[in-house]
Amino acid sequence: MMKKSCDDIILGIFSWACALILILSICLIIGFLVVKGYNALNVQLVFSDTNPVDALLLKQQVFDGLFPAIAGTVLLVCLSMIFAAPLGLCTGIFMAEYASAGVRQFFSLIFDILAGLPSIVVGLFGFSVTVFMHHYLSAKIFPCLLIASLSLCFLVLPYIIRTTQIALETVPLPVRLTGPCLGAGKLENIMLVLIPSSMPGILSGIILAIGRCAEDTAVIMLTGAVASAGIPDSVFSGFEALPFYIYNIAAEYSDPGQLAKGYGAALILLIICACLFFVSHVIRAKFADQTGYKG
Amino acid sequence: MNKKQIIIRIKDLYFYYQNTMILEKIRVEFEKNTITAIAGPSGQGKSSFLMCLNRLWENIEGARASGKIEIDFGKGFENIYDKSCSLPLLRRRVGMVFQTPNPLPATIHKNMAFPLKLAGLKNKSEISEKIHKTLCNTFLWDEVKDRLDSDARSLSGGQQQRLCMARALILEPEILLLDEPTSSLDETSASVIEQLLTKLKTECTIIMVSHYMDQVKRIADNKMVMKDRQLKYTQ
Repeated sequence: MMKKSCDDIILGIFSWACALILILSICLIIGFLVVKGYNALNVQLVFSDTNPVDALLLKQQVFDGLFPAIAGTVLLVCLSMIFAAPLGLCTGIFMAEYASAGVRQFFSLIFDILAGLPSIVVGLFGFSVTVFMHHYLSAKIFPCLLIASLSLCFLVLPYIIRTTQIALETVPLPVRLTGPCLGAGKLENIMLVLIPSSMPGILSGIILAIGRCAEDTAVIMLTGAVASAGIPDSVFSGFEALPFYIYNIAAEYSDPGQLAKGYGAALILLIICACLFFVSHVIRAKFADQTGYKG
Repeated sequence: MNKKQIIIRIKDLYFYYQNTMILEKIRVEFEKNTITAIAGPSGQGKSSFLMCLNRLWENIEGARASGKIEIDFGKGFENIYDKSCSLPLLRRRVGMVFQTPNPLPATIHKNMAFPLKLAGLKNKSEISEKIHKTLCNTFLWDEVKDRLDSDARSLSGGQQQRLCMARALILEPEILLLDEPTSSLDETSASVIEQLLTKLKTECTIIMVSHYMDQVKRIADNKMVMKDRQLKYTQ
């Protein structure tokens, strides 16, 4: 057997150390949150003194509990994805299948720049557009759930576009030519062969985007999130969100009990993200089973 | 003596890939209901030539071809490079199977039904009947009849290749193009495919690229060599 060189050994140790540091860091963060927030995690943290059934059926408002923030976060993620997923998918398909080399290069650059924008800049942009519309279109336009969702959509679009584009572009040539060989037109080939073949990759992009929507604070604090809005009546209302609640508590807490609530909220946010990832993973796995892909 | 019936007539075919000339002024004819094997060193344009016969190169960025390819589908010769020629229809009549099996990420049944659905067939019993008939013709029915709803990619390499052939044959093409169909298979699977090809030539004209001279001698009626951008008949 060939003896490992010194470089190989050093590289191996370095790689293992990096992986270990990463895993330990994640364990440390989650462990810290669990230790700090576990005691605060109870029904009262979510529903306060309100009856949970009444709160869930929206019969009674929850004051001083996390329920409006949880509902706001879920609504925000869902609404953002309703805008971002179809738009991102269609743009990704355009980039991979229809755009000429020049157009592809130009838009790739644009999307890369967009992906690198700090979220506070996107938030400022959303806020500026709202102010502009408030002055010139209608005085009824204020920061709200819809504007926050659209701003978040703007933030996550590059991820969905790029992952869709890459997933489609990396379909192996024999698979890519299967449809045309059998008489499929371009659109039929995209819809019936290329998208199903690259679905695991496309869903990965959507999962990433969901996570990004759920955790972002900078965008929503400028475009619609408020400290005590309750559950929004419509998409034009202000809303509460967990990341904003956590930020608010961290910045303004006045006693250890309030800080513990913040840790509890962080833990709930992690659980919500984990649930969203789990659901996405199940959908992806179901698709993978159907398509034969295990990736 | 029977007069040989010509099905494909090629005149002055040129093929370029990213400004590199791959095929130069090809002039050749193919007989109906025969197996023609094309041999030659790698990278000479054998696969590109096959793609010219169903205009599949149009789906590859950077490829272009010019010239005249006339095919007799039973109503006299028609130039497939004419603007009036329907591409989906052409590709249903000129089937193609690749070197590496390329089943769709779906069940065996869906793979087989896919070309029929593209062709507009909706009747489920008719689709099932055609699938049954074609899988029998490709010696695959007995092996897959109990697992039509399984993922096509759970089949062995040889089975996958026969499935791809069956998928191309279900549309009953007049011409079948095969790009090294046995190169990724073991001897037993390759021999089943050879048997199948010999049987198929009564129904369609087969043009195949093959590197195996033994195989060419065993099953080909005509042999050609692709070298220096030219395609020529050989003994």
